[in-house]
Amino acid sequence: MTGSRSPFPRFLSDGSFRPVMVGGCVAAFIMVLSPLAAIIWVSFFENKIISFPPTGYTFDWYRAAAAMPQFRDGFFTSLELGVVATLVSLIVGVPAALVLARGRFPGREAIQSLLLAPLIVPGIVAGAALYMFLIEVELASGVQVAMTFTGLAIAHSLIALPWTVRLVTASLVGLDPQLKEAALTMGAREFTAFRLVTWPLIRPGVVAGALFAFIASFVDLEKSLFLVGPGMTTLPIVIVNYLEWSIDPTIAAVATVQIAIISAGLVLTDRYFKLARAF
Amino acid sequence: MSSILIQDLVKRHGAQVTVDRVSLEIGQGEFIAFLGPSGCGKTTTLRMIAGLTEASAGSIHFGGREVTHLPPYLRNAGLVFQGYALFPHMSVAENVAFGLQMRKVGHEEERRRVEEALSLVKLAHLAGRLPKELSGGQQQRVALARAIVYKPEVLLLDEPLSALDAKLRTEVRTELRRLQSALGLTTIFVTHDQDEALSVADRIVVMSAGRVEQVGTPREIYQRPATRFVAEFIGLTNLFPGGLEGHGRFRCEDGECFAVTTTDAPSNASVLAIRPEHVRLVRGVPAPDGESAVEATVEDVIYRGALTEFVVRTASGAKLAAHLQNAGLGRYELRPGDRVIASWPADASMLF
Amino acid sequence: MDRVVEQGIQGVSALAITGEGSLTGGRPAPGGTDRRRRRSTAGWLLFPSLTLVLAGLILPLALMARTSVAHFDAASPDLVGFTLENYARFFGEPFYLMILARTLLVALSCTAICLVLGVPAAFVISRVESRTLKTALILATIIPLLMGNAVRAAGWMVLLADKGLINSALLSAGLIAEPVRILYTGSAVVIGLIAVLLPFMVISLESVFENIGTAYEEAAQTMGAPPWTAFFRVTLPLAMPGVFSGCLLCFVLAMNAYATPVLIGGPSFQMMAPKVFEQAIKVYNWPFAATIALVLMAVTLVLSVASSLALQKRYGVL
Repeated sequence: MTGSRSPFPRFLSDGSFRPVMVGGCVAAFIMVLSPLAAIIWVSFFENKIISFPPTGYTFDWYRAAAAMPQFRDGFFTSLELGVVATLVSLIVGVPAALVLARGRFPGREAIQSLLLAPLIVPGIVAGAALYMFLIEVELASGVQVAMTFTGLAIAHSLIALPWTVRLVTASLVGLDPQLKEAALTMGAREFTAFRLVTWPLIRPGVVAGALFAFIASFVDLEKSLFLVGPGMTTLPIVIVNYLEWSIDPTIAAVATVQIAIISAGLVLTDRYFKLARAF
Repeated sequence: MSSILIQDLVKRHGAQVTVDRVSLEIGQGEFIAFLGPSGCGKTTTLRMIAGLTEASAGSIHFGGREVTHLPPYLRNAGLVFQGYALFPHMSVAENVAFGLQMRKVGHEEERRRVEEALSLVKLAHLAGRLPKELSGGQQQRVALARAIVYKPEVLLLDEPLSALDAKLRTEVRTELRRLQSALGLTTIFVTHDQDEALSVADRIVVMSAGRVEQVGTPREIYQRPATRFVAEFIGLTNLFPGGLEGHGRFRCEDGECFAVTTTDAPSNASVLAIRPEHVRLVRGVPAPDGESAVEATVEDVIYRGALTEFVVRTASGAKLAAHLQNAGLGRYELRPGDRVIASWPADASMLF
Repeated sequence: MDRVVEQGIQGVSALAITGEGSLTGGRPAPGGTDRRRRRSTAGWLLFPSLTLVLAGLILPLALMARTSVAHFDAASPDLVGFTLENYARFFGEPFYLMILARTLLVALSCTAICLVLGVPAAFVISRVESRTLKTALILATIIPLLMGNAVRAAGWMVLLADKGLINSALLSAGLIAEPVRILYTGSAVVIGLIAVLLPFMVISLESVFENIGTAYEEAAQTMGAPPWTAFFRVTLPLAMPGVFSGCLLCFVLAMNAYATPVLIGGPSFQMMAPKVFEQAIKVYNWPFAATIALVLMAVTLVLSVASSLALQKRYGVL
């Protein structure tokens, strides 16, 4: 007599509608999640040759990967790049967001589009363009830029910038302007008002922006492709290079490490917001 | 148009019971109002009748046909939503035609009936407009036309007037009632506004916390509330806690005694209720026989246009409100601090 | 605040390709004598970020445009000459036109399939009544998005290779005698890309379905419409803006895809983005690489704008 424990509202549960919709949904999730599940699973396979069912499980491949210099170097380079890119994008992007969030002014749309442009231009195109540009700079100045950390840092800062700009602006816009005005009428100077009122309220947005910027930088492939060189390369590129020769549990382990790092970053974001909401 | 039979309708949400054994019989062409505060279950009940929410237990019949487990598109009900839910991407005429298209009515007939429905709500001239171009009142009328064009067995309205301003509300509800009688539609109207319910309904179902408190005509609900909740929810009431003492007397907690009629009062009555319009205030003259009376001092005089509200306080500190019509009062000059005698007929008091 | 961050994320990932989505509302800037002081501070605040974008993106793109009309000299990297020979070569040789055509075909197929799978997924998520389930599903959609194309391509390789999981499973179950060739085919690329693009489609559509709400569907149903009719006549038409931006996003991302075609398609399955890389880094023919890059951007842009206009005609302003 009672309704079934369906997660759907009553009126959608009849006929072929629900099965087809849920079926499509399940198919979509299988498509999206299976590669990740597969690679995590394979990273623990005992046998180097992938077989199904697996002969056994082991952590060996993780140890092996950690011992291989290209993975270690790639990992740390990606990490450093991520931190540098995030910091640069915050230093440069937060002020920009402050201006953009003020409201309409002539040229605002143009500036906004410009700052978000790195996301619109295809990675390959932007990467190639930056590479050619830096080579020209190199030739003109005699200073090596491409294949250095600096070159990569510039590229990654550009990757990170739209994320911080967008997320910080969004949280500034969501802020009630009267809060800061109240502080000003009570005698606070601009910067004090910012420090004591605005900043604590936009902090979650800034943190989110920073975390997404870091993640975007860490996983980037296309823009970094042109700017890496022997001894200076990122983890995703190391993974791609390895894959062009072989598919085995070692590379699966490395990929899983990347997955773990990103997941940790996302969990961190989640925890931060929950804490902020508790206040 | 059909009669509606609701038997022991229940809605459970996990451990919570939002509708608790509601039973009701509605005659063909009757206009029923579900009245109650927010959260009392009236909208949930309406949605179960429409088929949008599944009943946890109980049954619903439209004119003898059981519809309890039918999906909404097979029940042949018409529903006017609180927010109207007019399809934004269709014109007024297309909105109204929708129900007819679902019934595969031919083109000519569809056009004719849409025109007919729109004329009934006096919107034929706006047939080609989009919903966003209409005012709130006009949208409401389109929603109504849309729901009645296919001659449903029952018309359901979920707080249809709450989005309109006060003046428009009275106009529209009169129109609605007129239309409903003319067409003989069996109608259920959900509202939290008692004035609305009292003005338009044939019978009112007062609900609270998922249960039916009372079913009756507007007059019955107002003059003979069955429970304390109804007495308090409908109109204004003065309340005195206490207990019955012997025959025809009620002793209040503060010691005062009042004469009461105890014919249909429960023997364990613990509350005496009297409506402000029954309370008279006199100075210097004792109360007539057969009336309950108490000495009091005027505390507040509030002018409210058609009436004046006097708030008086008895010797023991209890507050009493009296409403006196301003027309016909003549020079009725009572000021705060004046000593008066407040009295009312014994049979006007309600006991719970 | 979560809602605001959510919107920010959606805005970035479903970017202003359609030119939509103003970052801020329509609030006017403060006026009066304030304005002059604010203008100069604004200038200083904006200067670093604008410089970064101009120097790191705009200028290089301009340079690349210049490079595409230069003459290719294997011996020197200097930009000499002004010639359209690179473009002539691209559009003249069937080989390159075929690469463009293949890229377009892959992008369009992926977009279509993403739509067919994405609509049910987004709709189901938007109509789920349990809060926890909905959050879990949304997270399950977003998290893969952020894993990076390298890792996801690796996952598909592991699954689809001749010696991969699927073939091993089928072989050991005795269903096939020889491994089925899936990896390094066009279908594999399409599958891999769909997996990458679906979250974008789902995110674009999910918020649209949420905003539409259930009232219209309910109204349609009470008037006699069965679920499929209510969906196609009421819900989906109202969701068209989301459908369009989702499709556009998927199309653009598919056109520009690199990692998936390279890893899953293999060297014989040529698409535009890998070609740019090959010409720039392996062949060292910058002018031609620049040409291919610009053709890619131009084709994508033209198709986006054209379809946007065509749909606006049909559905009004989206």
